[in-house]
Amino acid sequence: MDYKKFDDAALLRLIARTQEQALGELYDRYRRLVYSMALNATGDAGLAEEITQDVFLRVWNKAETYRPEQGKVVTWLSSIARYRSIDLLRRQAIRPEGNRAAWAEEGNSLPSDGPDIEGEVVISQRRQIVRKAIDQLPTEQGQALAYAYFQGYSHSEIAEALHEPLGTVKTRIRLGMQKLRHLLQEEKPSDG
Amino acid sequence: MSEEHVLDYLPAYALECLDEEDELRVAEHLASCQTCQLELQAYQGLVEELPLAMTEREPPAGLKEKILQRARESKGHVATLPGTPRQGWLVRLRAVPVWSALSLVLVLVLGGSNLLLWGRLNTLENQSRNHLMTILLQGTSATPDATGLMVVSLDGSHGTLVVDRLPVLGQTQQYQLWLIRDGKRTSGGVFSVDEKGYKSLYVKSPEPLVSYSAFGITVEPKGGSPAPTGDKVLGGEL
Repeated sequence: MDYKKFDDAALLRLIARTQEQALGELYDRYRRLVYSMALNATGDAGLAEEITQDVFLRVWNKAETYRPEQGKVVTWLSSIARYRSIDLLRRQAIRPEGNRAAWAEEGNSLPSDGPDIEGEVVISQRRQIVRKAIDQLPTEQGQALAYAYFQGYSHSEIAEALHEPLGTVKTRIRLGMQKLRHLLQEEKPSDG
Repeated sequence: MSEEHVLDYLPAYALECLDEEDELRVAEHLASCQTCQLELQAYQGLVEELPLAMTEREPPAGLKEKILQRARESKGHVATLPGTPRQGWLVRLRAVPVWSALSLVLVLVLGGSNLLLWGRLNTLENQSRNHLMTILLQGTSATPDATGLMVVSLDGSHGTLVVDRLPVLGQTQQYQLWLIRDGKRTSGGVFSVDEKGYKSLYVKSPEPLVSYSAFGITVEPKGGSPAPTGDKVLGGEL
């Protein structure tokens, strides 16, 4: 059976029926997403590998809990990877530095392995738009957002890590998100 | 924070980086403000796109085989006959998605007795809209009038608990929410109710809320307990 022809939701249904090849195909599609999320959160390749294993095994054991109406598979996987990473950081009391480099530079993309060429083109375009928007943020805003998104730090924790006043951090997060929203809305793909 | 809205806090709320006190205030406001709910959805959509902007790296060669090997060895996964749905009718019935489920919170405040009927109507009307997920919590023999609702976020990671008509406890006791999976109970928060037995509580846990199979609320000593010790007053299955 050619598993590449299945969409993500179909793959998860097959995984729920213990089709190992479907898990392999899902891994091929999203290995970089999951591993990179973990690596950007922990800054440690060993921990990132451990989290990546954990995420895909979780998918293997919990595929039946995925509900398409709650969002795309890629969003589900991102969430699992992000929360597993943050959870591990908290459990092991690891406090990595928020790294502005967690955000990719515009134009710096790995080639895709996805089966859907047309869909990949759309995603690739959107990826460039989001990266361009992040690039336009002041460095300190991008760094504050990286602390919050990848490491799961709160306002207070970011302020402590950066040795900045709490109010300054709150403002950076708010302005950064507002600017991103504005920039991405300008580039929103039309439905028609 | 504005008395009217919490708009300035919504970017950080969507990013889940508010400190606890701010987070609770925003969650309470959101429970009854459609304007802020819509604003929040816009920021949550933005957060969903952030992975597109992260630096990508290739995992080590051989990791795929390790994962498949561990999957093969996994004993927790029971094969299902082809065509057999894995979710029972009870699960689907109880994990009912509703559009604008937070508005249900408002209905709870205004008239808790209409909760069941409202939920059923909205289920029928909105099966195609499918946004937030809600889990109804039912009272026990000790608290037959009590009712509760867990509203789970779009990504399943966090939610808001609303309870109504719970008995007001003495000063030495509080209610505690338990997140239940495989028989293990994890605390989801400790709270007290107002004079009408009402409370809304923002719930965030290390694991996504949708990964739990049930929720329960017990009476515990003030400040909570490491594990349930008192009577169960509300419960519901995901």
